[in-house]
Amino acid sequence: MSDTSGLRMFMMRSAFVLLALCILLGNILPLQTLPRGWGGPDVLLGFALAWSVRRPDYVPLGLLAVVFLTADFLLQRPPGLAAALMLLAVADLQTRTRILRDAGFAAEWARAALLIVGIAIVQHTVLFILLVDVPSLGLLIFQTALTAAIYPICVALSAGLMGVRMTSPGDLDGFGQRT
Amino acid sequence: MAKDRANSAEYTTPLRNLLLAILVICLLGLFLLWRIDSPRVERLRAQITDTLVPNMDWAMAPVTGTINLFRDFQSYRRLSEQNQELRSELRQMRAWKEAALQLEQENARLLDLNNVQLDPRLTFITGVVLADSGSPFRQSVLLNIGARDGLVDGWATMDGIGLVGRISGVAENTARVLLLTDANSRVPSVIQPSGQRAIVAGDNTARPPVDFIENRDAVRPGDRVVSSGDGGVFPAGLLIGSLEIDPGGRLRVRLAADYERLEFLRVMRHYGTPAVEDSGAVIGTTVQTDEAINE
Repeated sequence: MSDTSGLRMFMMRSAFVLLALCILLGNILPLQTLPRGWGGPDVLLGFALAWSVRRPDYVPLGLLAVVFLTADFLLQRPPGLAAALMLLAVADLQTRTRILRDAGFAAEWARAALLIVGIAIVQHTVLFILLVDVPSLGLLIFQTALTAAIYPICVALSAGLMGVRMTSPGDLDGFGQRT
Repeated sequence: MAKDRANSAEYTTPLRNLLLAILVICLLGLFLLWRIDSPRVERLRAQITDTLVPNMDWAMAPVTGTINLFRDFQSYRRLSEQNQELRSELRQMRAWKEAALQLEQENARLLDLNNVQLDPRLTFITGVVLADSGSPFRQSVLLNIGARDGLVDGWATMDGIGLVGRISGVAENTARVLLLTDANSRVPSVIQPSGQRAIVAGDNTARPPVDFIENRDAVRPGDRVVSSGDGGVFPAGLLIGSLEIDPGGRLRVRLAADYERLEFLRVMRHYGTPAVEDSGAVIGTTVQTDEAINE
């Protein structure tokens, strides 16, 4: 049993890395080289949060750190800052898995939205304090709101297509133990 | 088993927190390092992009191609309307072509008379756009040519018609082009025909504003904006675009390059204009003769 669940664990971790790569490549496709007044949502963050609430064992912190840092490098963000903040947010959700499972989806969404907004505010403040040129505020607010808004879609896709669901009491975790 | 579980939970939580703390400190350390020594980390970024993106090109190119095909297909719906426009434009162009031919002949004759050497060192390399910046806050594209092809930071990049940006970050196989629309882009330029000097400063919009213009009354909307070559980064005389006034009364540049579809870009090889460093023998002798006269 531990063999099959170990294999499944490995598969799901690879699936997350693959998903992250697809999202990143989708972001840097050279389709829109004209500056636009809007920004797409941060889909990667949405999926990372959704997976962290559901199955923290599929997205270990080390893996997430590497993925987030790659995203920082590829998407021309200041490297490290956004990755560190996202990692803290994800870790916060991972420790609350059980509470959020019992509290229902509305509470989960509220918590995720709070974290997404928190990341944006802290990042903007730190960049401002360290005198890095900060991105325009309107664009940032738009992007943050959009990221929070698409969170349910990320959840639906993860749960529906990829089978990343909440563990219910009595399920076996990756080590063959009851959760 | 339940007992094991309880034990492992007790041990994993502090361990996990420790891991989290270490990871966050490492990431923040990298960020601070970037803030202090940006060029080194940016080089690292260029190398990471260089290893990741060209390897993924096989996956990205078909997707880009398909989406562009779909967009082209959508534009077929406006076909007849476009056809009309094109016909009327073609009629105008014929007249212009005639004028251009005459001017070309005249120009060739005059160049011949003057024995002019146009700068023979200004050659170019053409590259394909691999990726864009992936962020709405930054305007840059990644080219598939790099240090391997002799690219150097700061070289001007054009599409067929106008200036697009400058090389900013060169890795072995790829190079990043900072577009004129990026908030970090500043290009010294001249507005023709009045010859006013100004700076085209990107601000993350499609029409970059013109700053530090000497005399606003001397320029009019529609004037051509070309690079001035001040600062020695760009060669002089590259077309940037034409001037226009936005509703707020601010002067902006309508870029000549087609930013909608950046696909093939030319990188102009430019080895800098030689600077005059010493005071020059001519001036020296003049001063001496002056002194001699005074004595």
